[in-house]
Amino acid sequence: MKFMMIIKADASSEAGVMPDEKLLLAMGRYNQSLIDAGVLLAAEGLHPSSRGARVHVADGKRTVVDGPFAETRELIAGFWMIQVKSREEAIEWARRVPFEVGGSTTAGGTGQIEVRQVFDAADFAPALEHSTEGRALLDAEQAFRDRTNT
Amino acid sequence: MRFMIIRKADADTEAGKLPSESLLSAMMQYNEAMVNAGVMKAGEGLQPSAKGARIKFHGGKPTVTDGPFAEARELIAGFTIIEVKSRQEALDWVRRWPPEDANGELELELRQIYEAEDLGEQFTPELRAQEDRLRARIDGQSAAPDRAP
Repeated sequence: MKFMMIIKADASSEAGVMPDEKLLLAMGRYNQSLIDAGVLLAAEGLHPSSRGARVHVADGKRTVVDGPFAETRELIAGFWMIQVKSREEAIEWARRVPFEVGGSTTAGGTGQIEVRQVFDAADFAPALEHSTEGRALLDAEQAFRDRTNT
Repeated sequence: MRFMIIRKADADTEAGKLPSESLLSAMMQYNEAMVNAGVMKAGEGLQPSAKGARIKFHGGKPTVTDGPFAEARELIAGFTIIEVKSRQEALDWVRRWPPEDANGELELELRQIYEAEDLGEQFTPELRAQEDRLRARIDGQSAAPDRAP
């Protein structure tokens, strides 16, 4: 099962405060442990929303609004993608994120990780397997995933 | 430069409503266009928060709360990572998101991804070398093309 561990934004991540060496080292050790366990698929950090934008679609019409966005609770600051055997294992990894280090982006031991399960191509089967066209699309979806490895 | 296109959650995604065949077909065409242009690096959809959890840290100590989480605006339903030459090019891709999604009523968020060179001098040569080794090992394990040259 694939899970996404989302690191929620906070005031310092939104201010673009960069992690100090101590935190980078702690995160490096944490990432190393994920890799040693063979579970890490990807991990990325996001620039503050001030460098981003939102595209609202209404009636199919698009409106672009540049960041920053005030509601920090609605924003994410980064993520890990992991492949594990169970939801419990995913949560156990989330509990081990090194927040206790404090440092600039983890607000001195306070923060939040959201664990979310990722869809597999097979999850779409109930919607698609009833028709020839649907089954062809399902096969195409799987082939696409194999090709892009996502 | 790399960007993450975030598909915000809504009532349907939180209810676990699966995409229709026509939407899946439209998304497939969109993804194919991005792959053909050589910009798509990853893309995933997330199951409803009812199947997820939040882990809050206070004083470094974790507390687990099971989903679902009520505030759909605070949740994401999926993402696509693209590598492009400019923020404008990224925005152009966001604008091409299939209008079939959510019957043309939705919000997408575009965010730039940090690269090693953004981290400044606290990202020492030693740390950078460690990061390079980690990324190489991730690529080896998942065979993900994300970082392939």
